[in-house]
Amino acid sequence: MQFTRRSALLGTAAVAAAGGFSPLSISSGHAQAASNGITGVYRYKFGDGEIVQLLDGARTFPMPDTFVANVPKDQALAAFESLYMPKGQVTITFSPLIVKSGGKTIAIDTGNGLGAFEATKGAVGNTRANMAAAGIDPKSVDIVLISHFHGDHIGGLKNADGTQAYPNAEIKVPAAELAFWSDDSNQSKANGPNKGNFANVKKVFDGLKTTPYDANKEVAPGITSVATPGHTPGHMSFVIASGSKRLVVQGDITNHPAVFMRNPGWHLMFDNEAALAETTRRKFYDMAMAEKMPVIGYHFPFPSAGYVEKDGTGYRLIQVHALT
Amino acid sequence: MTTLTRRSLFAGAAAVGAATTLTPLAGTPSRAAAPLLGNQAPGWYRYKVGSYEITVATDGKSTFKLPDTFVVNVQKDAVNGALAAAHMDKDTMTIPYSPIAVNTGSKLIVVDTGTGEANFEKTKGSSGQFHGNLKTSGIDRNNVDIVVISHFHGDHINGLLTPDNKLAFPNAEVLVPAAEWKYFMDDGEMSKQTTERMKGVFANARRVFDALKRKVTPYEAGKEIAPGVNAVATPGHTPGHTSLIVSSGNSSVCVQADVTNHPALFVRNPGWHAFFDQDANMAEATRRKVYDMLATEKMMVQGFHYPFPSVAYIEKAGTGYREIPVPWNPVL
Repeated sequence: MQFTRRSALLGTAAVAAAGGFSPLSISSGHAQAASNGITGVYRYKFGDGEIVQLLDGARTFPMPDTFVANVPKDQALAAFESLYMPKGQVTITFSPLIVKSGGKTIAIDTGNGLGAFEATKGAVGNTRANMAAAGIDPKSVDIVLISHFHGDHIGGLKNADGTQAYPNAEIKVPAAELAFWSDDSNQSKANGPNKGNFANVKKVFDGLKTTPYDANKEVAPGITSVATPGHTPGHMSFVIASGSKRLVVQGDITNHPAVFMRNPGWHLMFDNEAALAETTRRKFYDMAMAEKMPVIGYHFPFPSAGYVEKDGTGYRLIQVHALT
Repeated sequence: MTTLTRRSLFAGAAAVGAATTLTPLAGTPSRAAAPLLGNQAPGWYRYKVGSYEITVATDGKSTFKLPDTFVVNVQKDAVNGALAAAHMDKDTMTIPYSPIAVNTGSKLIVVDTGTGEANFEKTKGSSGQFHGNLKTSGIDRNNVDIVVISHFHGDHINGLLTPDNKLAFPNAEVLVPAAEWKYFMDDGEMSKQTTERMKGVFANARRVFDALKRKVTPYEAGKEIAPGVNAVATPGHTPGHTSLIVSSGNSSVCVQADVTNHPALFVRNPGWHAFFDQDANMAEATRRKVYDMLATEKMMVQGFHYPFPSVAYIEKAGTGYREIPVPWNPVL
């Protein structure tokens, strides 16, 4: 029989019907649904060092009306639907990473945290489990670099009981970010979705010793901070250099790349200063593209790395995701 | 605050490179220097199609110097151009292999078997990973009810055997495409072969199936071979090449096997003929039909030679197609 659309579809229909008659209870011997969790670890060599990308998880939720603040909701919905996401829904993934560089183990951002793992029944907060799967003990982490103070980046600094998740690490935070979020008077000035973050920042950093860092500093061996403000006032990205190789860990310069890289003028509701975020975004991708520099994105589909290309009036991410 | 400039982004990086070489492991570390880990995470990924579980367990990859005639009907420059567009290395081809297991709830089905465990040592772990990754994913080979073979190339059938030529899936019925079986077991067809490669394909198929004492069950395309698993003829790559459509509830995935080799070359350019395609024109006709269907129906495709985890949606793009990898889902 030749392959025709009809044959494929007829087959499917017939199968769906047959499926109804043979549910999961059939007598057969061995088959049992193997429902272990998914391993979200991807590891590669980078120069003399190593990158271990970790999947914290994904949240799927109905798209808020102002999810893209400066675009009609219909248009935003269509953009996400074209990504084969369930109609009306948005899925956002979260992916921190571990860098082994210059003899140090460095975590960049921390995920939603173990508290969120329970609250979401495992949808997010998987960073620690995936670290364990990768053979990395949180006690062995020397430095934690925080890109900015949103909960999905700082939530993993503490365990569910409030104790320190990385007890031996120096926790480095952007100085400008620390200044902004420590000043209560900024709460009234922050845009809506950001107002609620002040309480969470207090809770997470209460009792934690942090080291503020500035832009253009070597914040860990081979890792330089780069100011990329807008998403939050002190938002930072990181250039990782090893030998002749360089890549940039962007943080939240965009959310989902297929939507916000293609439309760099779209303003995500979580961007505190949307116009500044857009300026940063365009500059940043023009540079990354010109340099053919790989970009790791916190909200890129796992394993979260790719190259930037021009695409019409925007950009496109060419994901690099071969496991082997 | 320093604003973002190209200088800040890239000069900084250079300075750091220099600084790093000057201060390698120095300082006053409180613990031993963090050792590099050097090994990859287990290569398996699981997703659901309706109530069924699909487990993708990679066999690994093969990397080799790009042969001049890897794509027989275009110049090597064009192939290198397509590799560059996908940010792959020039003059080098990397082909991943990813067999799957389908658990319907009543049957545990393995589709294709990789290059075989014996190949693991031979390649220093670069390929031959399938059985190990399957085990790590929680699937016991002894529990496999059915092994479905798409076609008789070595990277699909060699994993039927253990390194000592025993059955790798001892309790499974082995289903092979009837047309493939008829063709490759025909001594007349074998005697007609003129190239070393094709002679080798015949010899290897017979080596593997003779070790199984030729105990296999031929299956016909157009038939349901297990609940929700339909065989579809997709000939050209080999005479009996067969794909599967796995359906449960409202969801379907086309397990294409080798309708295309690496998507960066052959999904973007469906008219390109891979060196491995036995009847290249027929393979191209099949490819265009399958990919039109995938794009129109928005059906997922599981591609044996796609980068792991090898599952994507297909869109039309220019004169060809483009694969949109399915986002990695951390929960089932």
